[in-house]
Amino acid sequence: MNVPIRMIGIATTFFWIFLIAFAASAVYSVKDLRFGFGEPQFTIAPTRGLLFSLPINIENRGYYSISSFYVTTEFSGADGSVIAKESTLLPIIPKGELVTVLHNMTLNLDDMLENNEQYLFSDSEMRIAASVGMNLAEILPAEASTNFSFPWGAPFNNLSFGHPQCTAFNSTHLTTRVSISFENHAAFDVAGKIKLKIYNDAGVLLGENETGFNVPQYSPYNGSFESYVPAAEITPSGHFEAYIVTSLFDYGPVVIPYG
Amino acid sequence: MAEEKTDSKKKIRNITFRVLKATIKAVIVYALYFFLMQFLAPVSEFVPGFQQLVETFVIVYIVLMVLGTLTSGTIFQYFFNTAQSLYVMLYLLLSLNGGTLSVGFENVSLMVDLRLFLMIVILLSLLGLAKSVLQAVNFLNERAEYGRI
Repeated sequence: MNVPIRMIGIATTFFWIFLIAFAASAVYSVKDLRFGFGEPQFTIAPTRGLLFSLPINIENRGYYSISSFYVTTEFSGADGSVIAKESTLLPIIPKGELVTVLHNMTLNLDDMLENNEQYLFSDSEMRIAASVGMNLAEILPAEASTNFSFPWGAPFNNLSFGHPQCTAFNSTHLTTRVSISFENHAAFDVAGKIKLKIYNDAGVLLGENETGFNVPQYSPYNGSFESYVPAAEITPSGHFEAYIVTSLFDYGPVVIPYG
Repeated sequence: MAEEKTDSKKKIRNITFRVLKATIKAVIVYALYFFLMQFLAPVSEFVPGFQQLVETFVIVYIVLMVLGTLTSGTIFQYFFNTAQSLYVMLYLLLSLNGGTLSVGFENVSLMVDLRLFLMIVILLSLLGLAKSVLQAVNFLNERAEYGRI
């Protein structure tokens, strides 16, 4: 009986040494793992949305390869509603290599505005839940997760229309000029057109026109609409209806009273 | 009289040998711990109390090992060896929170799944436990046989 017992002892000792050496070297390898994040970019996605791209550099100088590396980001509004969620998976990061992966996320502004139009007109904050996971030494799963806020700049911040300025056009019609201003606080350029309809206090459509705009990020915009309205129907008060059409989203009507 | 003297000399030599063996074993385990801690030092920066956790484990492990060695040749050796295997299993099971370690610093939370590692450790400890039990059975068996002779 002594021989089998001794064999069990030798086998156990061998496995213990192997396990401890593996565990220590796997933990030590984590020290030589480097992550770098590039500049996040917002571009217009081909599928009509806003494409958020984050380049991630992973330098694995450890003793073992890393498998199933993934990045997951979830954007949610201040009310907690999920706006978008995307994952990027990298099957393997071989040892001694530098790998760059682009984590892309498409924000569908049409859906966002359906839930909350304030994303268009007021600056707010978005909650981002990000998690990075991997299999260290290909067998030890590890995950790091964090939550942080991200300032959302409204592309039509402080959108306002001036009071209609009327000048005589002919005996029956007036030329009406309405000024428009807003500031693009977003991290992307907005280009498109705004269609404006002018109604009197009885809700009768007086006139309509549209104007194009192309506003770079973080820039103000000042413009005006001109339309011809029947002199007999214009009233000192009423309301505007604005329709915004861009390559990213369509929105409207925005109802703004005047007078 | 001369036989008694030889017996006591034998006993002293035996005890000295056991003490020496226990000391060498303890020094080797401590040296191994010291060496491995150099590798595990980065973990201590992220996991508060990690060093203390490992230190406590190593101290109790060494104490049980020394006691097992000092009592070698008696049935108590196998008690201590069994206790050592059980201790490794239970301590790792409890301190590693069942294999899922979660650590938080600032607003980042880190989770490491060590269930596979823990499973292997438990299997090896069970093997050690089985070995101790077999050794104890073998020891009692041999003693019974020699007693009969």
